[in-house]
Amino acid sequence: MKSTGFTDLIKKSPFGPIQAHMLVSKASVKELINFLQSAINLDWNKATESRKIISDLENEADALKAETRSLLTKSLFLAVPREDILDLIKLADDIPNTVKDISGLIIGRQMEIPSEIASSFLLFAKEAATITETAGEAVDYIDELFQFSFGGNAAIKMQQLLEQLDSLENKNDQSEINLRGELFSIERDLPPVNVIFLYDIINKIGELSDRAEQVGHRISLIASR
Amino acid sequence: MEIIALYGPYLLISGCIFGFFMAWGIGANDVANAMGTSVGARALTLAQAILVACIFEFAGAYLAGGEVTSTIRKGIIDPSLLQDTPDLLVFGMMASLLAAGTWLLIASSRGWPVSTTHSIVGAIVGFAAVGISVDAVSWSKVTSIVSSWVVSPLMAGTIAFLIFRSVQTLILNTRNPFDNAKKYVPGYMFLVGFVISMVTFLKGLKHIGLTLNFAQSLTYSVVIGIGIALIGTYFLRKIENTKQTRGDIVFDGVEKVFAVLMVFTACAMAFAHGSNDVANAVGPLAAIVSVVESGGEIAAKSSMPWWILLLGGGGIVAGLATLGYKVIETVGRNITELTPSRGFAAELAAATTVVLASGIGLPISTTHTLVGAVLGVGLARGLSAIDLSVVSRILISWVITLPVGAGLSILFFFTLKSIFS
Repeated sequence: MKSTGFTDLIKKSPFGPIQAHMLVSKASVKELINFLQSAINLDWNKATESRKIISDLENEADALKAETRSLLTKSLFLAVPREDILDLIKLADDIPNTVKDISGLIIGRQMEIPSEIASSFLLFAKEAATITETAGEAVDYIDELFQFSFGGNAAIKMQQLLEQLDSLENKNDQSEINLRGELFSIERDLPPVNVIFLYDIINKIGELSDRAEQVGHRISLIASR
Repeated sequence: MEIIALYGPYLLISGCIFGFFMAWGIGANDVANAMGTSVGARALTLAQAILVACIFEFAGAYLAGGEVTSTIRKGIIDPSLLQDTPDLLVFGMMASLLAAGTWLLIASSRGWPVSTTHSIVGAIVGFAAVGISVDAVSWSKVTSIVSSWVVSPLMAGTIAFLIFRSVQTLILNTRNPFDNAKKYVPGYMFLVGFVISMVTFLKGLKHIGLTLNFAQSLTYSVVIGIGIALIGTYFLRKIENTKQTRGDIVFDGVEKVFAVLMVFTACAMAFAHGSNDVANAVGPLAAIVSVVESGGEIAAKSSMPWWILLLGGGGIVAGLATLGYKVIETVGRNITELTPSRGFAAELAAATTVVLASGIGLPISTTHTLVGAVLGVGLARGLSAIDLSVVSRILISWVITLPVGAGLSILFFFTLKSIFS
């Protein structure tokens, strides 16, 4: 004998797969650091390994994005607007995608990162990873935020994380300016095409931290409704 | 008249079997929704849920089930119109039990959200309107019953919304949720005891030799409410704050406090269910018994023999023991998202609504009321996702259940009539 429809009433939280997605994003950005380190060392074997991991993670993220969307059937009444959740997963999904783009571009052209800018370059990327880490933390607090009805300690923590994100992003902007400055000062000694692509990579890493920051902001918007 | 005299014992025995079958069906399926919420929230184990269901279903039926039983028995149709043909009333009630039982069996084997109450009301209206005459049905009563089916989920939803909002403001949304939970949860326990006993007292307990006026009812209900709150406070003392530290902040473990509260609301839910739904099986049987025992008289004022209730209660327990526990398990496993802080709000709202309806003799669907209550918690943003398509499925099941129940009972009615005459 089956239960008479009552059990279908309450559905799983759509945030489960988003949280899993954010874990994947964090892992992906972390692997990007390993990848860049290998690229700087011109160790293309190790870079290829990292690239493989990044590509697998991107597939995993895509599956989780699809799962989130499939949970959001039209008949659901949600505690949080559907558009916000869809926006959130869309923003979050840009992270592993961009990581994959960056690694693809570098490995495809076997790009050499000039030793003069290597340390600034790595620092810039590591900051992007920290921002993703922090945004991921905010996503992790959704459960508590929800359990305590968007108030109390969870809301305070969320506010702290946001302030942290903003200051990290400011710092990261400064690092980007520095890195561009360093690259500018040596660019006339480098092959022009390489320089164009280096700027492109810097842009993409900047995009990465932007996305992560936007994820954090979207969460805070969800929390404050 | 001769038919009753001739076949009296047979009619009585088959009536008992049909009534027991119906009660068994209620126990096997309907109780699960009432108890599954508590099991899903881990407030009760499966064994405890069954124990609570057995005790409080029975208490609800015995102490507060009289009004609904009387509505089913003699409110929907006017028995005085059947003065000369008491056998038709007996056949009709037997046909109704059979029809509702059959339909429930079909529906629940396919997982359709069908209500016991709707089936039996549809069946009684069906045999009376077609088998006897359209005037035999008290249409004003039927209208008030049907409108209560709309009102009860809405009311439960509103109450649940308000209760959960108060939980948010007083407890969850504060800096020290655990301390506040310990402070305010006894208040909700008081509400549980107060509401249930107030309705039960007001409705009247003459049948157990207790007559109370309004002031007395109020006083006793307050006393019972305080008593329940004190018992609850005693159990709450042992609950410790299992804090969870995440990073640099600490989250209070409030759900354990609500789990204690939910034991009380589960009892209330079982009581409410017993007070309303046992009548679906017991009401028609009571009508049959009173006709047969009086040798064909339709005694309007006869009181209901105690053993009928025992049979109804026994049927429910049998249903619970044979199949119900499995359904409770399934319901519990599937709605784990309904944590105690949410589940208690839904249960308290549903139990209050159902007991109120029982007090004024309106047969309503406990499950639908609970659905309304869960939606109320959802509207207060207590649940992350609620599937509204269940609501439309319920509406469809209404539209289908009434004519099918009626059609089946008409069929059984004419079959029984032709067998015995």
